Amino acid sequence: MGNKTYIRGQKELRAEVQDAGLCTGCGACVNLCPYYATSRDKTVVLDVCDRAAGRCYAFCPRTPTDLEAIRQQLFEPQDLTPELGAVKGFYLTRATDADIRSVAQHGGTVTALMSLALAEGIIDTALLAEGGGSDLPSGVAVRHASEVAKLAKSKFIAAPMVEAFNKAVLSDAQKIGVVATPCQTLALAKMKMKPFPQNDSQIDKLHLTIGLFCGWVLSWRSFKELLDEKVHQQAVVGLDIPPSKYKTMQVETADGLIEIPLNEVEACVREACKFCTDVTAEFSDISVGSARLPDGWEVAKGWNQVIVRTAAGEALMQLAKDRRVLEFREVPEGNLEKLKRASVKKKKTALDNLACKSGDRDDLLYLDCRDPVFQTFDW
Amino acid sequence: MADISKKTEGLADLLLGSEAIGRGALEGGVNVVASYPGNPSTEITEAIRQVAEKMNIYVEWSVNEKVAVETAAAASFAGLRGLSAMKQNGLNVALDFVSGISTSGSKGGLVLVVCDDPSGITSTSEQDSRPLARSLDFPLLEPGTFQEAKDMTRFGLELSEKIGRMVLLRSATRLQHARGRTLLGALPDENRKAHFDTSKQYVAFPSLPRHVAAKERMAEAKEICKDSVFNVYEGPDEPELLIVTCGSCYLYALDAMNLLDLWDRVGILKIGTVWPLPDDLIKTHMAKNSRILVLEEVEPFLEGNLKELAAEWAAEMPMPTFYGRRTGPLSDTGELNPDIIITAFMEILDLTYEARPPAYDQQAKAMVEKLVPPRSLALCAGCPHRASYWAIKNAEVLDTRDGFVTGDIGCYSFGLFPSGYSIMKTEQAMGSGPGVGYGFGKLGQFDMQQPVVAVVGDGTFYHGALPALVAAVNNRSNLTLVVLDNGATAMTGFQPHPGTGTDAFGHPAEPVLIEDICKSLGVRVEIVDPYDSVAATQKVLEFMNDEQQGPRVLIMRQQCALQMARSGKLYEVWVDQEKCVGEDCGCNRFCSRAFKCPGIMWDAQAKKARIDEAICVGCGVCAQVCRHGAILLKPLSAAQGKDS
Amino acid sequence: MTKLILQKDPLNAIITGVGGQGNVLMAQLFGRALTDKGFAVTVGDTYGAAQRGGPVSSHLRISKQTLFSPLTPSGQADIIISLEPVEALRVLGGWGNPDVVVVSNTRPSYPFDVTSGGAEYPALADITAAAQKLAQKTLFIDASEIALQMGAPVLTNTIMSGLAVGLGLFPIGVDDFITVLKNQFDDKKFNLNLSAFQKGLDLAASKGWSD
Repeated sequence: MGNKTYIRGQKELRAEVQDAGLCTGCGACVNLCPYYATSRDKTVVLDVCDRAAGRCYAFCPRTPTDLEAIRQQLFEPQDLTPELGAVKGFYLTRATDADIRSVAQHGGTVTALMSLALAEGIIDTALLAEGGGSDLPSGVAVRHASEVAKLAKSKFIAAPMVEAFNKAVLSDAQKIGVVATPCQTLALAKMKMKPFPQNDSQIDKLHLTIGLFCGWVLSWRSFKELLDEKVHQQAVVGLDIPPSKYKTMQVETADGLIEIPLNEVEACVREACKFCTDVTAEFSDISVGSARLPDGWEVAKGWNQVIVRTAAGEALMQLAKDRRVLEFREVPEGNLEKLKRASVKKKKTALDNLACKSGDRDDLLYLDCRDPVFQTFDW
Repeated sequence: MADISKKTEGLADLLLGSEAIGRGALEGGVNVVASYPGNPSTEITEAIRQVAEKMNIYVEWSVNEKVAVETAAAASFAGLRGLSAMKQNGLNVALDFVSGISTSGSKGGLVLVVCDDPSGITSTSEQDSRPLARSLDFPLLEPGTFQEAKDMTRFGLELSEKIGRMVLLRSATRLQHARGRTLLGALPDENRKAHFDTSKQYVAFPSLPRHVAAKERMAEAKEICKDSVFNVYEGPDEPELLIVTCGSCYLYALDAMNLLDLWDRVGILKIGTVWPLPDDLIKTHMAKNSRILVLEEVEPFLEGNLKELAAEWAAEMPMPTFYGRRTGPLSDTGELNPDIIITAFMEILDLTYEARPPAYDQQAKAMVEKLVPPRSLALCAGCPHRASYWAIKNAEVLDTRDGFVTGDIGCYSFGLFPSGYSIMKTEQAMGSGPGVGYGFGKLGQFDMQQPVVAVVGDGTFYHGALPALVAAVNNRSNLTLVVLDNGATAMTGFQPHPGTGTDAFGHPAEPVLIEDICKSLGVRVEIVDPYDSVAATQKVLEFMNDEQQGPRVLIMRQQCALQMARSGKLYEVWVDQEKCVGEDCGCNRFCSRAFKCPGIMWDAQAKKARIDEAICVGCGVCAQVCRHGAILLKPLSAAQGKDS
Repeated sequence: MTKLILQKDPLNAIITGVGGQGNVLMAQLFGRALTDKGFAVTVGDTYGAAQRGGPVSSHLRISKQTLFSPLTPSGQADIIISLEPVEALRVLGGWGNPDVVVVSNTRPSYPFDVTSGGAEYPALADITAAAQKLAQKTLFIDASEIALQMGAPVLTNTIMSGLAVGLGLFPIGVDDFITVLKNQFDDKKFNLNLSAFQKGLDLAASKGWSD
């Protein structure tokens, strides 16, 4: 397995990823060197680098990647599921602290876990996304548990969190925790594989990855245009997307709620998201998303679904339970199955899109067609 | 620069072509010299300027060539003698006035010296200015030697005064930048006073009758020049081949003749009064020669005129066989040199010649190919234009809308090359950076999304950017105009311009500041120091995204690095060899390879960057460029500069 | 009037270097000395934006009979004097021949193409070897070092001038050159240049041709 991986340089990265429409804007290539930057939701090249091989290519989640090798390296084999990656445990939780829940998007689980990790010294720096609505988000580093809650709420445009990580490792931060989207967690996982002989000790500073469930993110430019059109300069307080059956995006403004048809929002989806197979952020310690409950969205939207994947994740969850930082509720029958189906659906769509793009079912561009996970379903 | 007034009549001096013309102007009693700098003409006015004050000659570096010729013309109208020198592009700038003064005529001696640049070595074209003499009815003199450069200038002033028309003196790079022995003539003792005869009119309308009069004056000139000493024949009575040549080709021909030992076989007719042509002299030689090779730079102007005459004389003599730049074997583009002429001789006369043994030739060429690196032109170490282009390049990328730069003429034209990050995408003429930029700024209705940054130098701003700026305000063009202000007309040798606050003699002059002009136009204008890299980049980005979408001016102001080298370094600069990441991933020689300042060297042995102290001017920009903090600075007081 | 002796007519010398090194002035001074002696001399400079890093060459055409062109025909250099080693090779490539003599400074001036990493600058040993193969006689000397020891790098060209006169490359004598130096510089600069010139003369006497 995994003989499709090799390391090239900037030239190939541009051709194979950026110019090919695969770039997710994760920022893995930024802050390693002076040649890249993120600006206005684009990863841009400031100067040409002629190195034959570099970390930008090695760390990018959209260059040829051996997912199976990463799974085998970072997770325990008995935990691995084809649909959802490693699953040590599956929970429904919410933050115990009502103040956290009041500022959070859904259950406030991410905020509660990150605050706890900082407070307990499991990490000394948390990297979180700042910005909301149609603002350009950026990754910021916080050192104190109290600062985490200010950065709560979902962002529908991705902040380049790996860029923030690359910057943070150069500071005096020693134990870093990141809240990241699936593609970003994959980049961090590739870094953990230490593919590049020099400078590979910096990844050791990564102590905690909390991944977010993610169907797609929006392109800043087109979403901004859409929002400006619909909301007419009113201040946007929050955004939410209920389960897809509602076919809507809810925009909370100072003057009340505005609904935008989901298909108009989906027209603003970032191109690269079409090629992503990971809805539950399989390459993290803990993955968190919004819950689904038989009681309906009104109830479910106050809770989170949580997948624990690693020993580190397990230890944090246990601590959260012991410290009563999180509340747990019973997981209804079929929830995990439902999540598996959703995950497989995204994988199928992505593989179809990749095959369509390459024109060849055996050429999945950055993925390997022989990946055992892809053999477990028809596409 | 030689003191061209130093030696007295009868003595010989080794003068540059430019200096010879300057000396000729002095011998011709010039009173007013108004020019604009431009290679290869600049040294003419410099040479005169050096001695002008003590000789009571008014010299100015005009704001542009049109004003320069107008100034010299005013002197002529007032009965004084005037001279204006420029390169071929400058003649184009002055051309409207030049055509007007062709119609109106002039009074006191008036000479326009135009210096062409065959092969366009430092120009935007290799325009041959001679055809303009014919189309606009001016006598044109073209020197073939340094002596002639001097004598023709004096003669030009005299001829101009005799016939009441401006005279063109045409020279080119190889004569301008070369020195040769020149026998000096007398300096006149005249003390002319300026007076305009108000009973006369020097006007260009109605033009037809004045055109008729012009033709009559040209006939007079032809008569005066028919036995001119500037038209010389050397060679056998009945040569196998007649060379007809003018300008620097004359000396090239001598080299070719010498190496092929053709003194007894080939004759050279050197024409100095290139327009109007000395018909009689030409007829004499054409009658005796069946083969004529015409050598000239660049257009087949002389060749074409000779063929016309041959056609007119067809009834009287057989048509010769012509060789030249239209007929071949000479190319009709690029400058000639002795080697090209040798090859032409070989072809026409069926000769063989080897400059050196073929085996040696091969070896020598292979050696250069293998060992000798190119030596491209680059912006000087510490040049503020590099810092400005670095900021603009980064701003364009961070802006993400595929913006670009429209460019202009000056040291900053290096924005065309890798040294200036190949940032300039259009470049045509003085002021066309703003002009074309203005045009792009009007394309909004065609969905033009790309932000355009026009760059222009401080000297160029006064020369040719003002009309475009006024238009931009008047027509609301979406234009970011960056003025690269290094406080000098640097490329041509630091001549003053209206912003420098000094005149040609270094005396105080009333400065007309760019920011004041902008303010009076009501345009947003700010000043930023390009050496402050982060601030400069941010400012450019801000200006590119100005919400108003009208014209705005950003002056990027910092003195020229050559001035700084004289006045003293700002910083001592060195590279911390420990911190330097070198060619590894994370840097890949960013400072020397991407930023490209020649003061930074890549030490391939140590695999680290190094500062070349001999070249570094201590501007401190590279320390901001390095992401690893490996380039270190120690502030020096400006007074404590390097003694060199 | 003394009869002029010229070993070859025209005698062609190319003095080359990089912008700012002073080879143009050097050629001018030789030109003056030769003109004053009675020779017909053309000195042709090739440059345009020399300050901005480009090579600069001055072609000296020395004759008893007539002026020749400011550009030397290919392969016709009799003497190549260079203030920069790789420029000596560049000129040798275009204008060298089996009889040419080459005198060059050894201090490199790295082109922008090299400092920005694209091109390679050859080792001095390779430069001297290549020159020796293609010239009748060569002499490579670190004139820059001597100038630096004298406290002024700008004196390199004057030291090289002394070397050229001492080796008898041109039909002028020591006094002829000192005269033009005196006419060019004020007293203070003249004295400094005179010492530099003398150093060049001494070098010519002590060192020999390399081959």
